[in-house]
Amino acid sequence: MAGKINFYLLEYTYRYILRYKFKNLFITVVMSLLVGLLASVFFISNAMKDEYNSILNNYPDIIITNQKAMKESTIQESHSAELLELKGVSSVVGRVWGKYYFSSGDKVFTLLAKDEFETYINPLLNNTPTLSKDSMLVSRGVMESLKLGYYDEYFNFIKSDGTLKRVDVSGTFDGGNTLENSSFIIISKEDAKEIFDYKEDEVTDLAVSVANKNEVGYIAGKIMTLLPNAKVSIKDDLRVKYENIYNLRSGFFLTIFIITFFTFFMIIYDKVSGLNSEQKREIGVLKALGWRVSDVLNSKLYEGLIISLFSYIVGVLMAFVYVYIFNAPLLKNIFLNNYDILSDFRIYFSVDYETLALLFFLSVPIYIAATIIPSWRIATLEADEVMR
Amino acid sequence: MKSNTLFKLLLLSFVLTTSLLSSSQMTQALKEKKIYPMGEKIYNSKCKNVEITSYKTYDSLLNAIEKESLCGSLNKKHSEALSLYIWDVKKAPKTKYEKLTVTEKDKCQVCGMHTHHYPTWVTRIKYPKGETYNFDGAKCMFKFYFNNVEGITEVLVQDYYTLETLEARDSYFVVGSDVYGPMGHELIAFKDEKSAKTFSLEHKGEKVLFFDEITEYMVRSLGR
Repeated sequence: MAGKINFYLLEYTYRYILRYKFKNLFITVVMSLLVGLLASVFFISNAMKDEYNSILNNYPDIIITNQKAMKESTIQESHSAELLELKGVSSVVGRVWGKYYFSSGDKVFTLLAKDEFETYINPLLNNTPTLSKDSMLVSRGVMESLKLGYYDEYFNFIKSDGTLKRVDVSGTFDGGNTLENSSFIIISKEDAKEIFDYKEDEVTDLAVSVANKNEVGYIAGKIMTLLPNAKVSIKDDLRVKYENIYNLRSGFFLTIFIITFFTFFMIIYDKVSGLNSEQKREIGVLKALGWRVSDVLNSKLYEGLIISLFSYIVGVLMAFVYVYIFNAPLLKNIFLNNYDILSDFRIYFSVDYETLALLFFLSVPIYIAATIIPSWRIATLEADEVMR
Repeated sequence: MKSNTLFKLLLLSFVLTTSLLSSSQMTQALKEKKIYPMGEKIYNSKCKNVEITSYKTYDSLLNAIEKESLCGSLNKKHSEALSLYIWDVKKAPKTKYEKLTVTEKDKCQVCGMHTHHYPTWVTRIKYPKGETYNFDGAKCMFKFYFNNVEGITEVLVQDYYTLETLEARDSYFVVGSDVYGPMGHELIAFKDEKSAKTFSLEHKGEKVLFFDEITEYMVRSLGR
């Protein structure tokens, strides 16, 4: 019997499901919505997590900024000579970068400056072509915003003293799929310093790379004693910070998750606690007609399988369409701040087998068990006992 | 009065010799970690075909790069980096050992642990016929070394600070520090005595030893 599908039994089950059309349809709809909602939440949150990790991979091991009135401020590039003397430091790069508010488009751009012959951790800066003076490369997202302001070939940056600096757009680049990259402008170090009104020796921060990652903590400590006013942040601290922001938001989803599953289990509990008299009588009649216990259980197994598998598949498909084709319109905004660059974030297709398996095992076997167990209780009784 | 002039004279001679001997006022660390990588990048992108040997002094090279724009127009910082790189690195290439990378299959010959989990601790012993043995730390490597000394061609370890591959027989080791390897107490390798001593001070090391000073008894007693 095992391994063979009894098609007569399957047909009986099919008709049985249709007989209780409204009840079964309701269960199917609720279950597919539940699976769909949870799957899309998991898909979004996993995509976000990957995104944060890929951003962190482009971070230096240690970042040093100066402080003025307890606010982060620029630092002298000449400190890098002292820092390079520390054992274990493999490179120190003075980075010039910052945000620029494009008021007429209501957008915030991120300016990244590069020196042609310096090596950066961010591959974007290493891979882009050389920039001549007064020219910049912009990402697609920035180009779109500029075009809205009728800036096709150049852009006028407003400097801190109110004068304008004209910079030509020498090309666009594809920022890839990371959150941040959609608002990037790449520009030469001299031009960026002029826009930000930095002095000759001034840089935004110093990015320190450490060859042996075991040493990062010790070296950060040494830097703090070397530059007592500086703010020294370690990559791992940043990771913790990101994770906190992320966990706060995913805590919200944990609540949804718990509530939906409690609802689901309540339905299941209701089902397990007993069949109504009509269903009981039906099993009794089947037994009186000569069905064995195993036949009854098989038909119930088919019933559970058809309903739960169908709703699981529909739910997962709904989640795929919602997240990857429509780019998760409402749910995504809960994770993202809608006023910054992150709102342009596009979720890229990937199949997360772990999530799919988790949802499968939480829905399908449990539902099947909930259909079989009460029927088994009845089916093991004698037929006359059931119908009495 | 006389001692004062003598002092001044000494100071002057010191300043003169240092400024004459060094091609610029940069320290070795600054050069190695910042200037040479930058110079290399400029060299690779701008002047692959320069005849390096035709310049007899550093100044003539710098002059050629800066004034005659040998490699296109470069600003002062870049041309200095380029000429330092050509002068110090390109003209005197040093023998470099390969980076110690391991695959997932490699196991330590002594303790049997998978080495790919601890890439910074990998050490290696090589024999003339090409037999190569990987270890997951200097301690295991030494245990093997003392039992199979004969015929070894290369004993490779990694500098703790730079992760650069070193010949262990020219390296310094710190014993008894608070940094533990995959197998507990370790001998931590360094290229020079200075970094070994710095490490020893910072990480409560007991001794700084040259390779020759390490005995089998010492290595065995680390595993207590």
